[in-house]
Amino acid sequence: MDRAQVDQHPGASGNALLVGVGLGVSFLLFIAFLNVVKSGNLFTESNLLYLSLIFYAGAAALYIGFGVTGVERYVKFASVATLVGFIGNTLAAGHRWYMAGHPPFASIYEMLLSFVWTVAGLTLIAERKYAVKVIGTITMPLAVTAVILMQLLPSDVRPLVPALQSTWLHVHVTLAMLAYAACALSFALAMMFLIQDQLKTENFLAVTSAMVSLIYAGILTRFQSGGLNVIAWDFENKQEVFLQRGVRLFVTIPDLGWLFVLVLAGSVAPLLFYVWAKKAKDDSKLVLANNAIFVSLALQALALAGFILRARNASYASLDAEGVYPTSLAASPFILSGLVSGIFASLLYLLLYWRRTDLERLLPNSAILDRITYRTIAIAFPLLTLMIAAGAYWANRTWGSYWSWDPKETWAAITWLVYAGYLHMRITRGWRGRRAAYFAILGFAVVMFTFFGVTYLLPGLHAYA
Amino acid sequence: MAATISTGRRIWNLLASVKTGIILLIILGVVSAAGTLILQRPTTDAEQIQRAYSPTTLLWLDRLGMTDVFHSWWFALLMTLLATSIVCVSIDRFPKAWRMLTHPYKFADSHFRVGLPVQRKIAVEDSEAALDSAEKVMRKIGLRPERVTSDQQTGLFAEKNRLSVLSVYVVHTSLLLILLGGIIDAFVGYRGFLQLTPGQTTDKLELRAGQARMLGFTIRCDGTGQENYADGSPKKWWSRLTVIEDGKETKKKEIVVNDPLVTHGLRFYQASYGSTGKPESLLLSATPVEGGEGKQITLRPGQSTQIDAETSVQLAEFIPDFVIRDNQIYARSNNPVNPAIQLTVTGKAGASQTWLFPEAQGQVPPSTTGGYTFKFDDMQIGAYTGLEVSYEPGQWAVWTGCVLMGLGLVMAFYAVHQRFWAVVVQNRGGEYALWLGMAAEKNREHFQEHFEHMCDEIKKELSSEQPAASEVERETPVSA
Repeated sequence: MDRAQVDQHPGASGNALLVGVGLGVSFLLFIAFLNVVKSGNLFTESNLLYLSLIFYAGAAALYIGFGVTGVERYVKFASVATLVGFIGNTLAAGHRWYMAGHPPFASIYEMLLSFVWTVAGLTLIAERKYAVKVIGTITMPLAVTAVILMQLLPSDVRPLVPALQSTWLHVHVTLAMLAYAACALSFALAMMFLIQDQLKTENFLAVTSAMVSLIYAGILTRFQSGGLNVIAWDFENKQEVFLQRGVRLFVTIPDLGWLFVLVLAGSVAPLLFYVWAKKAKDDSKLVLANNAIFVSLALQALALAGFILRARNASYASLDAEGVYPTSLAASPFILSGLVSGIFASLLYLLLYWRRTDLERLLPNSAILDRITYRTIAIAFPLLTLMIAAGAYWANRTWGSYWSWDPKETWAAITWLVYAGYLHMRITRGWRGRRAAYFAILGFAVVMFTFFGVTYLLPGLHAYA
Repeated sequence: MAATISTGRRIWNLLASVKTGIILLIILGVVSAAGTLILQRPTTDAEQIQRAYSPTTLLWLDRLGMTDVFHSWWFALLMTLLATSIVCVSIDRFPKAWRMLTHPYKFADSHFRVGLPVQRKIAVEDSEAALDSAEKVMRKIGLRPERVTSDQQTGLFAEKNRLSVLSVYVVHTSLLLILLGGIIDAFVGYRGFLQLTPGQTTDKLELRAGQARMLGFTIRCDGTGQENYADGSPKKWWSRLTVIEDGKETKKKEIVVNDPLVTHGLRFYQASYGSTGKPESLLLSATPVEGGEGKQITLRPGQSTQIDAETSVQLAEFIPDFVIRDNQIYARSNNPVNPAIQLTVTGKAGASQTWLFPEAQGQVPPSTTGGYTFKFDDMQIGAYTGLEVSYEPGQWAVWTGCVLMGLGLVMAFYAVHQRFWAVVVQNRGGEYALWLGMAAEKNREHFQEHFEHMCDEIKKELSSEQPAASEVERETPVSA
């Protein structure tokens, strides 16, 4: 790999972005500082979080700048910005833990806070320990989106209901966060392996398109006569509206269903073009598939905008009860996550499409990535095991049964089985390379279903997470 | 040896193969997934299931056991096969592991040296000094090398984490232990429910299926209650319980959610709390109609309370939560949300009645009868505590299994078994070289790096003593 072959852009544009981001960050900090000095409290949780948001945004801008122009200098500064943001994030989370008296896992807001912290932490580790310097291009924009999403959610510290007041719960949820983070990292590494293993770009297109289509198909299970069903929101108590225990009240946002169907069609299109190109053995048709990705991205942005506009603090009729009921974005964290993930995945594909050679240069070679994927799963698997055990012990103390084949429990066990399968195939059968990478990706898909799919699509006791 | 393998051997090979295990795992995964996507009878109302599936679909789902996957016979069979597979694979591979543990291969002969993937050779002048240097460096990095001789040749052998050879068996045994615990609880364990009001005792519980089961001792509730946060949401539910055996109180505990009472192998969990709907005492104010001092009286059900020499009050009826529909009063629930109290006042003029509506006080005309106006002040309403009881003797196998699995996994991934050999070899030209080799059970590439470092160190050590030491090409088969 010839490192001397850096993109020779005129120095002006390279510095322009750095200076721009630097000024932007300083400006935002200055304004924030003025506001904070006025209010008096410097080190509150929201101030610290805002601080990390500013730096994460700066890092994300620089990483995206690298993604668009290929200038490597951005990556170095972005890394520094990530570190500063991470420190702020740690202080914010620590402050919240201290004030609430329990680790930050008890609500969606807190989960996102921990998620962002983990993502930033893993970015730094991957950059320093594993020399995967471009991982921030993926993780920092994700972190920024998550922090922005957090602003839409109720952030007050709620006292815990009796069932949640247990140390074993905190142990279980902490282990879950760590395990899922390790699984997410192994997924990213497996994807990077496939890039370095010369998997053709159009195959990534097919996978991205399939994934986005699945997300929209999943959301569309809530399709109702042209509209979309969302959960009603009780503004007074800041929680979802329940008809009876475990049964939520749904309201129908009209016409949103059709919009999402349109976007679904748009997101399946690239995949269809891909299949057509493969069948006709005509690579020129792949250009159509790539153009379709742009269209799909535009439609997804439309869907996100449409959803935010319609689902934010508005009232709609319900099929379950008479009258109109309000809803809020806070009632639909899964739909929001799905929409954001879809856009994110599409953008990542575009990054690969435009900057594949740069990425291949900056990433470690495939053998190293294969090895690191295995080692990450070797960390994730014991964590998964302990998470399930701690969950079982907590369930036993709270409900008198350590295993009741609850959908979430069962899917956690299935996730465990898949990763056990990966380890068996690797250790006993010597699976390496592509097959191992696909297996790792399958594992993460199951993790995603366990975390999102079960709560969104299936009912059960795990109602609050 | 004849070419045919006996059927017994064939079956054993099938059971003891990792491939069989993987296939069983896949089937288990798919079947479990189906069990979450298809509505299951134990956790869903019968009505809901009937509404969700067409009669024919439901008939077939029931017949195939898909509406109660996890308690069906074929699921149990699947788990049994999986357990058998684990046992067979372990038995099949254990002898080799045991041999590695008890009879480690210490001297690297020529055959072995040719086949080992990770090795290096360094040319040396003095064979004795070479081994000494190698030993010195090995000790420095934390290994404990020993000298081994074979056929008048001396070599070095060092290993780390030898016990780790057993780690995979620890992990699989722990899995079997967990399954065993589950089986024990499925057959011998049971779960039930009992409800107590303060002061009440019981010696039996009600099982899921409805029948009663004797406890073998008596349990008494001494009190129960609920505490709320400042915003009104529940903070904790508690119950004070006493265990009585042969008339003696053997155990007392205040239980809350997450902290059960454990006695005689049974666990009593704080599951629910509620209102019985029956008042324990009512605090009322009685003000004479003609004027004068009002009086506070306490009314208890079944008792008569004197207001003055001639007048007494009794509780006639109590509805904790009423609604009026079609001009009739109905009881909606047991919770004191909207109580209605009917009093019978017996006085000089005879008996008369009046109703009190605490929630509507101020909106309805005052309740006056028998010469007094009555007002509601406070009341104590009876509460009950709902306890879930479970007998799960198998859980100890499960917890032991979990701990063991944790240890086994840590051992397997973080205490990898590594072995190091060193021998001085001589090629046909009579030149000596120090042969170094390493084997690691897992993650070979990672340990290979460490091995390379070690070899570099040894080379440096040799150079400082023998200026002529140089690298020899690796992988040359040499006769010893």
